[in-house]
Amino acid sequence: MKEAAIPRTRAPINAYRIGQAVIGVLFTAFFLWRLYNVLFVQAVYGADTWLRFLISGLIIGAVYAVIAIGYTLVYGILFMINFAHGEVMMLGAFAGYFTFEALNAWVVDPAGELTFLNAYPVLSIILAFLAGILVSTTMGILLERIAYRPLRGAPRLVPLISAIGASIFLQNTAQALFGPGRRTYVNPSILTRNAGVTLVVNNRDVIITYTGIFTFILCILLLIGLYFLVKKSRFGRAMRAVAENKQTAALMGIDVDGVISRTFAISGALAGAAGVMWGIHNGIIYHYVGFIPGLKAFTSAVLGGIGNIPGAMLGGMFLGIVESLGPAALGLNFQLKDVIAFSILVLVLIFRPSGILGEVLSEEKV
Amino acid sequence: MNTTLQKGLRTGTIFGLIILFLYMIGFTTIMSALLGDFLDLKGPSVGAGSVPGLVVLIGLIGLWAGAVASQSGDLSEDTWLKALVGGLAAGVISGLILALLAVVLNSLEDVARIRQYLVQISPQTINLFLLGRETGMAVAPLYLALMTASGLLGAALSRLLGRGRLRTAIASRRDAAEKALFSIPFLKKEEGRRILRLSIFAVLLALLFLMPQRLGQYWNFTLGTVGIYVLMGLGLNIVVGLAGLLDLGYVAFFAVGAYTIGLLTAPQPHGIMWDFWAVLPLGIVIASIAGILLGIPVLRLRGDYLAIVTLGFGEIIRVLARSDLLASFAGGPQGIRNIGGPSLFGNPLNSERAFMYFIIISIILVIFITTRLERSSVGRAWIAMREDETVAQAMGINTYRAKLLAFAIGAAFAGLGGVLFASRNQYTGPEDHSLLVSINVLALVIVGGMGSIPGVILGALALKGLPEMLRQLEDYRILAFGALLVVMMILRPEGLWPSTRRKIEIHTVEEELPPEPVHPRSTDQPVTTRLDTASDVTISTDVREA
Repeated sequence: MKEAAIPRTRAPINAYRIGQAVIGVLFTAFFLWRLYNVLFVQAVYGADTWLRFLISGLIIGAVYAVIAIGYTLVYGILFMINFAHGEVMMLGAFAGYFTFEALNAWVVDPAGELTFLNAYPVLSIILAFLAGILVSTTMGILLERIAYRPLRGAPRLVPLISAIGASIFLQNTAQALFGPGRRTYVNPSILTRNAGVTLVVNNRDVIITYTGIFTFILCILLLIGLYFLVKKSRFGRAMRAVAENKQTAALMGIDVDGVISRTFAISGALAGAAGVMWGIHNGIIYHYVGFIPGLKAFTSAVLGGIGNIPGAMLGGMFLGIVESLGPAALGLNFQLKDVIAFSILVLVLIFRPSGILGEVLSEEKV
Repeated sequence: MNTTLQKGLRTGTIFGLIILFLYMIGFTTIMSALLGDFLDLKGPSVGAGSVPGLVVLIGLIGLWAGAVASQSGDLSEDTWLKALVGGLAAGVISGLILALLAVVLNSLEDVARIRQYLVQISPQTINLFLLGRETGMAVAPLYLALMTASGLLGAALSRLLGRGRLRTAIASRRDAAEKALFSIPFLKKEEGRRILRLSIFAVLLALLFLMPQRLGQYWNFTLGTVGIYVLMGLGLNIVVGLAGLLDLGYVAFFAVGAYTIGLLTAPQPHGIMWDFWAVLPLGIVIASIAGILLGIPVLRLRGDYLAIVTLGFGEIIRVLARSDLLASFAGGPQGIRNIGGPSLFGNPLNSERAFMYFIIISIILVIFITTRLERSSVGRAWIAMREDETVAQAMGINTYRAKLLAFAIGAAFAGLGGVLFASRNQYTGPEDHSLLVSINVLALVIVGGMGSIPGVILGALALKGLPEMLRQLEDYRILAFGALLVVMMILRPEGLWPSTRRKIEIHTVEEELPPEPVHPRSTDQPVTTRLDTASDVTISTDVREA
């Protein structure tokens, strides 16, 4: 946002700066005091517990990063928060769940004990991801086609409200279709939850679960793949051109609508993969499961600088770790995890609205 | 002819899928029962649904599909043949989709397993969709015939009534009536019109004050809730409708009002039992202070960041209210009970009827304040800011201060609503302040018409009052809100009862920025008085460089 050089608006800016400084000092003091308290006065957590928090934060952070990419891509190109992105992820998670369920019901062993899911676990996982990605990609494309495309060029508030409407609609549709209950992901036995590699720290066991390792590695692979797609491929170049200036891109022979549609497809595919990973790692899904992760992923995107792909990755990791370590470090109840995440959003927007790595948006949009 | 056929096929597919969707979410079952009751249809009922009701429902959707499909392209090129071909195509395709669904449902073997995944598919609903027959195969051609017939009929009806003909007829009647009305000598003068307007207001006001006397407890309670939503809608209308700031955490201020009166008048958890009349202004003031405190950091942000920060803030308030951290202070998940009500000269005034009067008086007050504000320099500043912030700033408006004021006033109204709500229910808890409330209020403001006071009232009656009458459809209310928000934004972004200014603004912007970014601006477009955003940005940078 440009600060107009009109003398009248200068006074509140100064007051604002002072306020910023005061809030900053207060928060830092509070943070240091709590941290000191937790580490040296109460000393409730040993090194093993901290390590456990750090690991779970890294894994969740990687998932946030993958979801955040979807926000950042769409924001960079249309300058619009795709509010329904979390719901796209939720639908992907459900698709993966149904695939696992169906494969688990399919008995392949003549003895009647072994189901397809456990007989061919790798294939099952690939199938689940394919289903999740397929559903989410389709949803992403449909969403753009139905709810956003007719509104291109309308005042800014209009597509945003439409996106909120789409999000509410998808959430409640999932509730009506699949019921309000929570469902537990049935993983193949090679990805049993709670089983994993055991480290011994501080004479205590720290388990790094297989689902966690799997999720983390897959996320990193997806992020690397996406980075090269955007930076090196022909489509990536077209996408960046459209993000920079739609009219000029169109004059250069780029199919703007097609690029936008494909951007939604890619962000949907990433959300679908994230949804299946969420299900495999966390185990429980329901119709509301995409909403809070969606908000947090958006927070990550803002944190890293919206429109900035490495920024979104970094922001996701950062948010995951802070959210996981934060309640412990501040000596607060773990119920307040979400409060910490959203407080970070507010703080980042107060102190550095352009994010850690800075926004990458074309001049006209900023 | 080709395009007609294409449109017919596309419409048929869409409507067929819509019926499929409605079946999957269980809407057809409940709606068929409602229709069956409403039309007093005799016929077999299966489970919760009624078979003739279902046939009527699907037939009506078929009529609609036919009507939509019959209208293609140019108005002057409409012919009977085209209309009927469109309707036929739509009917056949949607009928085929339904027939396919019937065949699939008929051949399902392990229904219990399917039901684990899709909760609405139960033996009863399948039986209902197969019209209560055991032999489902016979139903498939029946559906095809039903959809074809209703598609054709819909096309014929739409052709008969004529596209747009109905609307122009109504408009011309209205114009004629207006002309006749203003030819009365008394109304020719401005004076006379004002007297007429005032007397209409007086009659409405009298009716409004008589209404609670005639209503029973239930309706006073229900309409009271609608009234509180009107209050909040009017507050959000200032923030979203006038100032153009999308606030998704509006419920936070409602919660501040509700918790203020809760903590200060209830025996638990603090035992401060102040008087209602002392806490009422306090609640409003604290809510508006909360609005300013939240506004100071976030109002410098871009519009869409604002939406997400306020959303996050609303969630923070709710999580904090639920958490153990504040349980001893704010009652935790159980909330606060026995919140005090008002009394006048020692007489308690906490019946539903008395609260209805409070709410009506508050609404009138708030409407008065809003209209005065809207026409003041502040209101004009808000509207200028909503239309173009850069230009507004260039015109010398302190946009930051104007935004803060909008936030504070909107929060004050929400605080008032919260105080009344908590005091009437004698209870408040974290679940009263979920995100859903914010979304409800936002939806009613948008559906009614942003920036329009009658629009807000209409929106509250439609979105909050109507579902009270159709209790059976409660499960689909929020789902419908979501769909409604999208549809409204696409078809009628100015709302049902728009303010004149907003209507002009939205349509001006649409004309100015064609949806296809590729086309160069054509020369025959109307000249608008609005400044062009892009050129204005360059002006402001020039100033800075100089």
